[in-house]
Amino acid sequence: MLITAGVDVGSTQTKAVLIDDSRAIRASAIIDTGGHISKAAERVFDEVLSTGGLCRKDVSCVVGTGYGRFKVQFGDIQITEISCHAKGAVFLFPGTRTVIDMGGQDAKGIRVGLNGEVDDFVMNDKCAAGTGRFLSNASETLNLTLDAVGELSLRAERPVRLSTVCSVFVESDIMAYLAQGKKVEDILAGVNSAIAARTIALVRRVGIVPEVTFTGGVSRNIGMIRALETKLGMPLNVSPQSQLVGALGAALWAMEHAESAVRS
Amino acid sequence: MRVADPVQEAKDLSETPVGRVIESWKSAHPGAKAVGWFPVFSPIELTHAAGMLPISIAGGGNQMEIAHADSRFQSFVCSIIKSTLELGLTGQLENLDGMIFHSICDPAKNLTSVFKRNFPRLMVDFIHFTQNFASPVAEEYLAAEYGRVRTRLAELAGTEITDGQIRSSIATYNRVRERVRRLQGIRLNGRNQLSAAETAALLRAGGRMMPEDFLTLLDDALRVISSRPGKARDLVHVVLEGSFCEQPPLELIQSIEEAGCSILEDDFELGFRWFKGDISTEGDPLRALAHAYIDGSVHSAVKHDLRYRKAAPLVEKVRRTGAQAVVVLTAKFCEPALFDYALYREALEENNIPHVLVEFEEKMWAFDKIRSEIETFVESMMFD
Amino acid sequence: MPKAIHQGLIHDLQKNLMSHYYEKLTRAAETRQEKSAWMLISGNPVELVRAFGFLPVYPEVNALQLGVRKQALPFILKAEERGYSMDNCAYVKADVGLYFSGLKAPFATIPEPSLILCNYVGCGVYLQWFEHLAEYTNAPIFNLDIPTVRPSASEGLQGKTQAGTAADHSNAADQRYVMRQLEELIAVCERITHRDFDEAKLRRIMEFSRETGELWAQIKAMTRTVPSPFDAFFDAVTMMGPLYCLRGTEECLDFFRAVHREMTERVEQRICPLEEERFRIVIEGPPPWPFLRTFRDLFSKWGAVAVASTYSTVGGLWEFGFRHDPDRPLESISEHMLQYNLTNRSFLQRYEQIRRYITEWNADALIIHSVKSCRLFSAGQGDMREYFSKELGIPTLLVESDLEDPRYFSEAQMRNRVDAFFESLAHRKSVRDREAGTC
Ligand code: SF4
Ligand code: SF4
Repeated sequence: MLITAGVDVGSTQTKAVLIDDSRAIRASAIIDTGGHISKAAERVFDEVLSTGGLCRKDVSCVVGTGYGRFKVQFGDIQITEISCHAKGAVFLFPGTRTVIDMGGQDAKGIRVGLNGEVDDFVMNDKCAAGTGRFLSNASETLNLTLDAVGELSLRAERPVRLSTVCSVFVESDIMAYLAQGKKVEDILAGVNSAIAARTIALVRRVGIVPEVTFTGGVSRNIGMIRALETKLGMPLNVSPQSQLVGALGAALWAMEHAESAVRS
Repeated sequence: MRVADPVQEAKDLSETPVGRVIESWKSAHPGAKAVGWFPVFSPIELTHAAGMLPISIAGGGNQMEIAHADSRFQSFVCSIIKSTLELGLTGQLENLDGMIFHSICDPAKNLTSVFKRNFPRLMVDFIHFTQNFASPVAEEYLAAEYGRVRTRLAELAGTEITDGQIRSSIATYNRVRERVRRLQGIRLNGRNQLSAAETAALLRAGGRMMPEDFLTLLDDALRVISSRPGKARDLVHVVLEGSFCEQPPLELIQSIEEAGCSILEDDFELGFRWFKGDISTEGDPLRALAHAYIDGSVHSAVKHDLRYRKAAPLVEKVRRTGAQAVVVLTAKFCEPALFDYALYREALEENNIPHVLVEFEEKMWAFDKIRSEIETFVESMMFD
Repeated sequence: MPKAIHQGLIHDLQKNLMSHYYEKLTRAAETRQEKSAWMLISGNPVELVRAFGFLPVYPEVNALQLGVRKQALPFILKAEERGYSMDNCAYVKADVGLYFSGLKAPFATIPEPSLILCNYVGCGVYLQWFEHLAEYTNAPIFNLDIPTVRPSASEGLQGKTQAGTAADHSNAADQRYVMRQLEELIAVCERITHRDFDEAKLRRIMEFSRETGELWAQIKAMTRTVPSPFDAFFDAVTMMGPLYCLRGTEECLDFFRAVHREMTERVEQRICPLEEERFRIVIEGPPPWPFLRTFRDLFSKWGAVAVASTYSTVGGLWEFGFRHDPDRPLESISEHMLQYNLTNRSFLQRYEQIRRYITEWNADALIIHSVKSCRLFSAGQGDMREYFSKELGIPTLLVESDLEDPRYFSEAQMRNRVDAFFESLAHRKSVRDREAGTC
């Protein structure tokens, strides 16, 4: 039996997934990246191996992905997280044609083919407006944890309209609303709705074809899911494993690679 | 029947979505056409002479969310470019028949092409104004350029546009411009009868109607305003410069005034204040329009007239109005305005005229930040 | 990882020519014996200026040199201190910063201008840039106003078929206006140089330019062959230096003769700039000068060679037929400025130019490098992307940075996008190849 691994090194978290050739997930792990990228990759790999009860020589191929993919020194191949997200999303939801991915610095839209290949993609431009960064700055201003944002925002009755999606200016905008006595949940709903609008405008560049799968750290925010769904007028696929989609995709690419190596 | 307050009427009209304005004008004038003009200045006499409505299409203000256009123009392009495109992409220009852009900056030039590609139904044109003001042949060139546009407008209108019709349009707009100068005069009389925000609202409304209607509106407004009691307020008198193209929300202008500034002169809606005096109604009307552009127009960052130093008109404006300071209010990412600030700053410092630089975006909602910047500036002036 | 290989003479030759040019400028600055004319690159009348013996100086090229040597930032900051905005074109800021540093660049000293000639060819920033320089230097300035190409009734991109035609939208009035201004300019040059206009000399210069243009057009056509003998973006910028700074001289012509010889050989021997040409791309937009090498390697790694680029046509569109004509000197100078350069044309004409590159040069993909500084180039490139990717179905990648300001370049972000793009292109190619192999 072939075993392959995907290691996704992001700016905040590093993730790893092990799969076998029946495409079953054998183990997964998530750790904080910290200051030392190649060490984080090593650590997460060791962790996932021990969870899966395997050792390094059992793994036929390792694909590194994410910003730190070139720091995965034990990796055999590096593939961008765009290709990996596409692959992983289609694996989890085979009907996926569009992937919306929202991470800390990036927002991206990917149009995918039937086998999880990337047909077209866009990412936010240089300015980080409307990305997860905006959200975390907003929650920080409101003294909330990121995870609390989603639930709370669902309680909104009259969402505010934000005048900016700039992650630098959001703070003063929010302070102004607080000064006006607006409710926290209404502000949060406004934040979600502003980012959702901005993201949809971005993803529209590749064309939004259902089914749409939502991945990345921000997909844990239920408020954001609802905001996107309302604006899109369609339901989103969201997996509880959405944080792992990149690593999973990487493991799947690794498996394809290992299989074709065995064949030839 | 006219509502009691012409200024309020102007405000309402200026805040009505532009698509609805065109629609209701057209339903009142069946068969007539409407041609949009982009800032800063356009020879709308030509459109009017053809019996078409010249309508100012200058972005979407702060009522509109940009959902499509920012995938066409990048984050570092000013807002008016995107919101104007958004109007088209969201079907709000359905009733428009033509659109004229001008050689004011590079984004506007490229927007012309983007309009042409995305809205093939529209007649799209671009006027290249002369930038060699010193050349003896500039006037001839510009008149020929106007002639070219006149031909296209005539095709669109399906009628000829005669010299006589253009001359009479010039005469009508001369009357409009004379009223606008009178409004301006009231601002300078020291009695605080008219605010900059109100003036801007009147001019904005004027960009959305035929000049004959605008004249009525202006006459009513002049009557109402000059009978206002006026009030004495302890304010810092300023000249405001830099908002000649993208327009700030009226509330923003208000906040600047409320923060303690009396704005004696500004360059909002500069198109209606483009000429210093009347345009000749004698002889070749295209030559007359071209001549006025070259020798009778006011300064603006989008004109590159090398016969004077760039900051001279600003310094002169401060002297003439007796202002104490300058507020440079520029649209974010507006290249022409931001460039000229460097020269303004130098000249203002040389002449000991205090100033403050503030950037805005038409889509702004919260004005607290700008307001407190202005307040701080005003305080620094008061305690000086 | 395959890297670009700089074989051949042309890079060394170019280096020599350019350092010779800058030595001349430095000498002129020190001796103050020569008159210099400051000009812009886009479709300029350097032939006319040369006929009066002016030394042409190009603030854009000076800014570019600062950029490519990674020396621009302190100059940019100097300009920002004077009130220029973060959001203003960084070429201008680097150049203004240079002026306020006594015109002393690390690689040369630039002579003060005897004439500031603003050839306003498409870019609105030009007008302000030179207006500001004129105020700072107090040198005489002439705005040579070139009416930009306006959309005509016939021009437009309609679906997949019809597109803007080449260059028929300047009219007789434009031509007359430019010709008359050239006459005014001649009078200004006569006044400054105390020389009479020597038409025979102008014709001789025009002859050099004509032949240079002919060679350049032929060279650019060579990238139609597979594999392409050179990279029409990264190597073309090397050739653009002499083409713009030295056009109208014998040394420039000699350079292009050498390039022509070398490229002809490379075509015959099927030599390409990379070990293997895997992808043929078209690049739109200027290069990120401070990171030129890094940027090139992003593409080399994938075996991607630019077979055409729009940037290499800012100064002139010889490849689409333009030649300077010694028999009609002023007419052909004005045609060059009005119609035969990228910047004075409309944005839609650029779409059409790119579309021709993709089909006639047989390219696989379009890369749009969107630079913040130059809105003339970049404003609206999202629409361009839309047109190529959605309407024409051509794989298109848009990446952002800047041509001069190092603060806008993020290597990791850029690499991510480029890699993802080529991963998917490579995947598609392998699927295509597999299918082709099985049937
Ligand atoms: S606001 Fe400035 S940059 Fe924007 S269109 Fe107007 S003049 Fe051009
Ligand atoms: S905007 Fe572009 S063309 Fe104009 S000066 Fe800057 S870099 Fe050059």
